[in-house]
Amino acid sequence: MDKIICLGKNYSDHIAEMKEAAPEMPLLFLKPSSVFREIKNQETIPLPWERGLIHYECEVVFKLYKKNIIGLGLGLDLTLRDLQKQLKEKGHPWEISKVFKNSAICTPIQGVRDFLNWQDTPFVLKINSEVRQESKLSKAILKPNDIIHYVDKFFPICDGDLIFTGTPSGVGPLHPNDLIELQFGPIESTFRLGNENG
Amino acid sequence: MDNRQLSHDILNILERLRIMHDLIKDKNYEHIPKDELLTDLNENLDLLRKKFDILSQ
Repeated sequence: MDKIICLGKNYSDHIAEMKEAAPEMPLLFLKPSSVFREIKNQETIPLPWERGLIHYECEVVFKLYKKNIIGLGLGLDLTLRDLQKQLKEKGHPWEISKVFKNSAICTPIQGVRDFLNWQDTPFVLKINSEVRQESKLSKAILKPNDIIHYVDKFFPICDGDLIFTGTPSGVGPLHPNDLIELQFGPIESTFRLGNENG
Repeated sequence: MDNRQLSHDILNILERLRIMHDLIKDKNYEHIPKDELLTDLNENLDLLRKKFDILSQ
């Protein structure tokens, strides 16, 4: 994988909960492949809690080949929220709040054919057995093909690249030892959050 | 070409081969027809061999 392409503000309900103005088009940013973590079921994933509040954003993930969506996953785009807020207030770039080890977590990718009507299939994030985010890709502002065309205007798309397609409402903080469950059609992954030093 | 760039290219080809493996294994030709995939496969295998030849020199 060359890179992870992320969309911000692609769900109206998330824009509303952040009390931010809706942009003309969703925002784009990149995460390098080095911060990607594919979930092995029941594993513990360490995060840098000492760096401040870490927010989850649950998102449908596309895997691309020749600019086609050939696989789907459910991911967590993680953000150091306090740091991001400070950087935004200063008008600085906010990469360092988005790019840190394990900040792009994703279930194993499943072939598109394993889904029935995947754009209308609900995706769910549970934390400690409580539903925190639930939506469908059909509720997103940009539709799947439009997302690819939009990204293609700005970035070279490489085979194997992933697109995190934006998050619906319900984002919030994570805590050490949280039990995370991700469900999307045939995809079900469970893992726990741990400390960076084990 | 330096070894770092070669390694990067080789890993990208392996990533493409992995995707092609999944598509062919699942007989998923909806987006990329089978003939085109098999042509891609041969091209990428040739390219992989060439890159490895250079890397080993």
